[in-house]
Amino acid sequence: MAGRSAEALLGAGFLGVMTTLYLGFQWAPSVAIDAFESPAAQRIFYWHVPAAWAAFIAFAVLFAGSAMWFFKRSPLGWRLHVAGAEAGLACGLITVWSGCVWGAAEWGTPWDWTDVRLNTFGLLTLLALFLVLGRQSQPDGVETRDTFSTFGLYGFVLVPFTYIATRVWEIRHPGPVIGAGDDGGSLSGDMAIVLLIGAVSFTLFIIGHILMSMRITGLEQRLEQAQKHLDVGE
Amino acid sequence: MEGMTYLTVAYLGMIAGIAIWTWTVVNRSKAIEARLEAVEASIGVVASDADAVAKEQAE
Repeated sequence: MAGRSAEALLGAGFLGVMTTLYLGFQWAPSVAIDAFESPAAQRIFYWHVPAAWAAFIAFAVLFAGSAMWFFKRSPLGWRLHVAGAEAGLACGLITVWSGCVWGAAEWGTPWDWTDVRLNTFGLLTLLALFLVLGRQSQPDGVETRDTFSTFGLYGFVLVPFTYIATRVWEIRHPGPVIGAGDDGGSLSGDMAIVLLIGAVSFTLFIIGHILMSMRITGLEQRLEQAQKHLDVGE
Repeated sequence: MEGMTYLTVAYLGMIAGIAIWTWTVVNRSKAIEARLEAVEASIGVVASDADAVAKEQAE
C-alpha cells in the first residue's frame, strides 16, 4: 500500500515536472531582451529553482534522519538518512547541471570559483555524493552509520549558508526573485504561476522518491536478514 | 539561437537523468521485493526482524 502511494506521488510529480518544462518553454513570457545576454536560456530557471528547492527538502530529510539515527538509534532515521542523501544527490546534480548550462550561455563560463552560492551548493552536492558512494562501499554497521550520520548532521550547516549567500555576498549568482523581503522581486504573474507549478511538482516528485528509497532500504535490510538466516541454516 | 541550443542540451540532459533515475528506483524496488518474497516465504522470516543493526543497538 505504502509502495503504491510512493509510486503514485512519483508519477504525479514526474507529470508535473514535464508540464513545467512545457509551460516554461511554450507559455511563460519572455524576459526583456536587453536584461540578459541569453534571454532564451533564462527559461531554464523554471526547472533550476524548483530542483534547488527539492534538494533543500532532501537535505532537511538527510539532517533529520541523521539526527534520529545518531541520537535515538532509530531504524526509521537511518532509512531517512539514506533516502535524503540519494534524493539530495539527484536534485543537487540537476541544479548544478542546469546552473552550469545557464552560466555558460549567460556568463560565458559554466562555473565561478569565487561565487559563494555556487561553491556552497556544489559542496552540498559533493557531500551527498560522498554519503551515497560511501554507504555502498562500506559494510553496514553501527560505526559506518555513526560516521555517515555525523557528516549528515554537520553538512547541513551549508544549507542556511547557501540560502543567505546571495543576500550577503551577491557575486555572480543572481539574488532572490521571490521572498526577497524588499522590492527586489521581479517575477510577473505568469512566470510566478509556472514557477509555483514547478515547485509543487518537484516537491511531489522528491517526496515520492524519498518514500521509494526508504522502502528499498527497508527491503534490502529484510533481504540481508533473510540471507543471514539462510547462511546459518535456520 | 545559441541560448536555445544551450536550453535544449540542458533539458535533454535533465529529462534523461530524471527518467533514468526514476526508472532505476522503481525497477530496483520491484526486483528486491520479488527476491525477498521468495526468500522469506521459503525460510519463514518476518519483516520485524529487518534492521539487524538497529535491533542490536536496542538490545
